[in-house]
Amino acid sequence: MAPKSGDAIFASVDRVNAELFTLTYGAMVRQLLTDLEEVDEVNKQLDQMGYNIGVRLVDEFLAKSNVSRCVDFKETAEVIAKVGFKMFLGVTASVTNWDTEGTTCSLILEDNPLVDFVELPDTCQGLYYCNILSGIVRGALEMVSMKTEVTWLRDMLRGDDVFELQVKLLKQVPEEYPYKDDE
Amino acid sequence: MIVCVAVVGHQNNPLYIQSFTEADDALKLHHIVHCSLDVVDERVNNPKKSGPTLNETFLGLLYPTENYKVYGYLTNTKVKFILVTTDLDVRDADVRNFFRKFHAAYVDAVSNPFHVPGKKITSRTFAERVSTIVKSFGLSSAS
Repeated sequence: MAPKSGDAIFASVDRVNAELFTLTYGAMVRQLLTDLEEVDEVNKQLDQMGYNIGVRLVDEFLAKSNVSRCVDFKETAEVIAKVGFKMFLGVTASVTNWDTEGTTCSLILEDNPLVDFVELPDTCQGLYYCNILSGIVRGALEMVSMKTEVTWLRDMLRGDDVFELQVKLLKQVPEEYPYKDDE
Repeated sequence: MIVCVAVVGHQNNPLYIQSFTEADDALKLHHIVHCSLDVVDERVNNPKKSGPTLNETFLGLLYPTENYKVYGYLTNTKVKFILVTTDLDVRDADVRNFFRKFHAAYVDAVSNPFHVPGKKITSRTFAERVSTIVKSFGLSSAS
């Protein structure tokens, strides 16, 4: 459906060594744990960092991928899963579990380069290691006028078989212009 | 049959010890591993031939005790892998192959950002992989 599929764009962008990426992210999470000490604080911080990345990433995504305006939230979710994830992480996600109104869905990731070699120790069992991804999705969608809530339903580091990210559309915010029409 | 594998850090601190027989007391195996460390240090400090063998990772048979054979492998970060086996006829190639797989599992275990270098390896995945490698060692040398 997207004019340029994720594979083509992924092949054309500059790439970095996957192990370097994984180890850098791991080092960052470790440092956050050492600095903040509370697992919940680290989760929040990762989400915030992801949000800051997402609001900037969406412009690059739209520029490189040339997707047309999405008709509805279903198409948005498909584009994120197939083109977005492929372009930036190199893996495709699948979209499932649509609710009846079409506002909530799940993105399933079977393969996640962020968690290669990682095993959560017993002291950090509440940690959402990939929480940066939820922040990125939330930040990116907010920049295209959609307020969403993104949560992890399944996490491979906690023993589940896949990563499942639930994206819930809260509301579509129409664009507001900062100046009034007449005055 | 492999009775024990051990990973020892560069300050001779134990990082991982796993024995695979129920009967033998673990203490005796730990003692054998400890004694073999001296042999490793000796081999490292007094190389038999200088030049091409300076980079040798596989140290070979360290010393045979009454019914055990002890093999050693040294990584370039001075981490030592010790293998204790009761097999009488063990092919050199099998042991090298074992250490290669063991080294790969070790590298993945220390790439875990939650692993502290110098502390014991607590990864469950590493333990499972080591068991698999140990089981396949027995099978390949039997064929």
